[in-house]
Amino acid sequence: MMLPPPALQVENLHAGYGGAKILRGVSFELAAGEVLVLLGRNGAGKSTTIKALMGLLRPTAGRVRLAGQDIAGAEPHRIARAGLGWVPEERRVFPDLTVAENLEVGRRPARAGLAPWTPERLFALFPNLAGLRARPGARISGGEQQMVAIARTLMGNPRVLLLDEPGEGLAPVIVDLMVEAILALKREGATVLLAEQSLAFAARVADRAAILETGRIVWEGAIDALLADTGARARHLQV
Amino acid sequence: MSVLVAEGLRKRFGANEAVAGVSLAVEPGEMLALIGPNGAGKSTCFNMLGGQLRPDEGVVRLGERDVTGMAPRHLAHLGVGRTFQITASFASMTVRENVQTALLAQARQAWRFWRAADAQHVAQAEALLSRVGMASQAARPAGVLAYGDLKRLELALALAGKPVLLLMDEPTAGMAPAERAALMALVRGIAREQGVAVLFTEHDMDVVFGHADRVLVLDRGRLIAQGTPAEVRADPRVRAVYLGTAA
Amino acid sequence: MDLIFLQLLTGLAGASTLFLVAAGLTVIFGVTRVVNFSHGSLYMLGAFIAWSILSRLPREPEYFVLGVLGAALATAVIGALLEVLLLRRIYRAPELLQLLATFGMVLVVQDVALWIWGPVDLSLSRPRWLRGAVEVFGLRFPFYDLVLIVVGPVVLGLLLLLFHRTRWGLLVRAATQDRDMVAALGVDQRVLFTSVFALGAGLAGLGGALALPQGSANLHMDLSVIAEAFVVVVVGGMGSLTGAFLAALLIGVLQAFGIALVPKITLVLVFLVMAAVLVVRPHGLLGKPQAMARGEVEALAPIRPAGPALHVLGLVALVLAILAPFFAGPYLLSVLTEAAVAVLFAASLHVMMGPGGMASFGHAAWFGVGAYAAAFAAKGLGAGMAAGLLLAPFAAGALALLVGAFVVRMSGVYLAMLTLAFAQIAWAVAFQWVEVTGGDNGVLGVWPDAWAADKPTLYWLALLLCVGGALVLRRALFAPFGFALRATRDSALRAEAVGLDAYRLRWVAFGLAGAGAGLSGAVFAYAKGSVFPTYMAIPHSVDALVMVLLGGVQTMAGPIVGAVSFTVLHSWLLMGEFWRIKLGLLIMALVLAFPAGIAGAASAAWERWRGRAP
Repeated sequence: MMLPPPALQVENLHAGYGGAKILRGVSFELAAGEVLVLLGRNGAGKSTTIKALMGLLRPTAGRVRLAGQDIAGAEPHRIARAGLGWVPEERRVFPDLTVAENLEVGRRPARAGLAPWTPERLFALFPNLAGLRARPGARISGGEQQMVAIARTLMGNPRVLLLDEPGEGLAPVIVDLMVEAILALKREGATVLLAEQSLAFAARVADRAAILETGRIVWEGAIDALLADTGARARHLQV
Repeated sequence: MSVLVAEGLRKRFGANEAVAGVSLAVEPGEMLALIGPNGAGKSTCFNMLGGQLRPDEGVVRLGERDVTGMAPRHLAHLGVGRTFQITASFASMTVRENVQTALLAQARQAWRFWRAADAQHVAQAEALLSRVGMASQAARPAGVLAYGDLKRLELALALAGKPVLLLMDEPTAGMAPAERAALMALVRGIAREQGVAVLFTEHDMDVVFGHADRVLVLDRGRLIAQGTPAEVRADPRVRAVYLGTAA
Repeated sequence: MDLIFLQLLTGLAGASTLFLVAAGLTVIFGVTRVVNFSHGSLYMLGAFIAWSILSRLPREPEYFVLGVLGAALATAVIGALLEVLLLRRIYRAPELLQLLATFGMVLVVQDVALWIWGPVDLSLSRPRWLRGAVEVFGLRFPFYDLVLIVVGPVVLGLLLLLFHRTRWGLLVRAATQDRDMVAALGVDQRVLFTSVFALGAGLAGLGGALALPQGSANLHMDLSVIAEAFVVVVVGGMGSLTGAFLAALLIGVLQAFGIALVPKITLVLVFLVMAAVLVVRPHGLLGKPQAMARGEVEALAPIRPAGPALHVLGLVALVLAILAPFFAGPYLLSVLTEAAVAVLFAASLHVMMGPGGMASFGHAAWFGVGAYAAAFAAKGLGAGMAAGLLLAPFAAGALALLVGAFVVRMSGVYLAMLTLAFAQIAWAVAFQWVEVTGGDNGVLGVWPDAWAADKPTLYWLALLLCVGGALVLRRALFAPFGFALRATRDSALRAEAVGLDAYRLRWVAFGLAGAGAGLSGAVFAYAKGSVFPTYMAIPHSVDALVMVLLGGVQTMAGPIVGAVSFTVLHSWLLMGEFWRIKLGLLIMALVLAFPAGIAGAASAAWERWRGRAP
């Protein structure tokens, strides 16, 4: 039996801001239906990797293949159409649009072979949002904004979901809800790349982990292996 | 006596009562954490104490003095130091110049038009930077600092006014675990040595339970629990509305 | 009673065209974050094109409607072209440079219009049906005014439907709030931006075409309408269509009554109403606080005092400047005098614009006030030059403090628009108050005292006052005041938290900038012997901006370098016919090539070179 091609394939990705090189050859693969977490301290390049994949920062070298199609260096809207869905760390919900309108902005045609997301399905995934349809984005709580940001991106029926620190700045109970949501998405077969500071959060949702340090991947493997490897954790994550 | 006392603070935005009667007191040398779900009213509360917002009702006293609704710059001169959730520093200046500017402001010397500013308060600025572990970066532009270093610069700016009270809104947001612990240990040291009262908000429970002397829990604009970290942690109501599985 | 009613209807009619222009401006700003200075040019083009079409068509109503729509459509196409050719390249530039580039476009369009349609005002001979009147409450009321009154609300309604009932409108509203996020959700920003720009341009063109039957198409309508449109947009609240509509009504009615009752101070009245609205509602009638548009993170390099090399260079230049009368001919000397004046003019603007972070588009107002103060001292009081030179900075500084008291509450483009509107009003006062200012004829015979009458002495005096003044300002910027001012610019929140009074620092910087410009204006008045309203006109304000940007906002030597190079350039290249198109293209080229200014680019190159040297 032939293995299906990886959902996302990143090879030797280089990127930076101005003169500062942040990524110095990042490579990893993400299989369909898998949740991979990028771990690492501040400035290690987690967010930069996500931005470079999304085309918000132009990679200086390297290849990014999404379901076989090379998207490195393309413009963000083309990358989004090709099937990368980005949920930014700052959430960036449109403050003056209602929750329902926020979702509409994200709407893109369905993708062959994937059940299309609809507002109804998303309100089932995030029951908290169902009662807030007509509420402007600025007038919902931080946790609810995070849910809207994820739902809005899912409306574009992405092949791969990029989640940048979805638990950041949220109350522990809301973090629990995020974990539930990601696990639910996983059951639906979603492919997720997660950037995260918190190993505890990662441990609850991820299948595999990759640790970034000064712009390179220095450790990669199953999340359970990382949890068991106290040496690697102390070396790379100081925990 | 308490450094800061707030009694019956209320603030309403349109139909929504963000803070519905909060009273609290911070003692000298104490680390007091204010926690609660997003939208519970922490930031509103904080901004009323820091002078960014005027309460609809209630009184804020700094020592004996009624400072309700007083502007932040006046509070700064009365000894309230402040750090922000989204770091704010002077990006077009070096680290040392940042601190010098804060010292000039605190000494009410901003309205001088002739003598070069970068030769003033040099020793004091260097001392403050050493205190927060930033001496080696004094000549670097503040705009290029790493996130954790920016937080420490902010702390130095807040300390420039020899504060009696530090208000820190999510002091460790966005930092790595090791950095968080180091920063909070530093703040704790300052609180202990100089008797500075510290009131902070935080979402990281390791920081809260590891560094606070006392914890206040806010939900929907009201205080629902307060006490030592252990007491708050054990409170079933706090577990339900806020802590979830984290406790 | 009847008169009041008629006046009200006239005001409402005027409000409609004003609304169309302002609506286009606010829609374009909302999405692209570009304050489009050339929006008035599109209005002017709309009027000219309408004239070209309508004067060739039969004079029946249906052809009129077709012609007006045709003109609007043509303007929309021109707008789309401008967006693709110029604006698209500068969306990531600092907003000031964008404003400046679009002003370059104003100049280019003026000369192109001059070339195509000639200098004469073109009016339409109105067909009979257009001249008719309708009975309203027993009053005969011009039919066309009624048409205009209906057009405003109809267009507002259509626009609201477009923005709230279509997917395109939804995407535009989303892009207004966070354009990069919209792109990351798969929307092609280019298509969105070009279509928004075309819509805005079309609205301006429609306004111009509809205004044609009541007046004429002429080469001055661009700047006069843009100042009014800025006022409307600011009063209504940036980005709010309904706000723009209400503000247009307010301003239109106010102007109609003002002209009927107190014609001389109508414009002052407009400014006062704007001031009153903004004091009560700082973001305009229906506006919201403008968050920084996403994707505009501005990296500020720290400002360093000049190094030894630059000091030596500056000293050599100063010595050469002092010795100039011994080797320069009379023409060069008069150019150098102008350059000295320009140095203080630019340095004073730089104080508020660089360290103060407040870009003024009306800096010429203070220059003009200073010049008129000198003229008043000479002609009105019969006092000597010393009195004039003393009065000028105080008069300009005091007026700047008065206006600044509420202008400095604003920031960014609001402040730029307000200063522009104020300068336009100051210009109009100088232009209209003929008894005092001599109107367009100006004040002549403002000569220096006998001891300073010869060219070299006058030059040395200009050098002493202007370059000396600029150096004093520079000193203040490195003193605690300058640090505190920069602190408020970098982070007002943090500045207040360490005990600085951000408002007063900005206010004093504004006053200081006004006083400096006032002094330079007075020196200029004595050097030229005359004062004209053009000293206060928008193009002169833009000269100051070009000088500062030419030099680079973030370098302290910038304004000096910029002022000298601009003056030389001006007296050299930009003379004769079609100077506007040359200057306009130059401005656009500069913005595209050196977003950090010449001095900024030079210092970056110097740093690179030094970095490479062992």
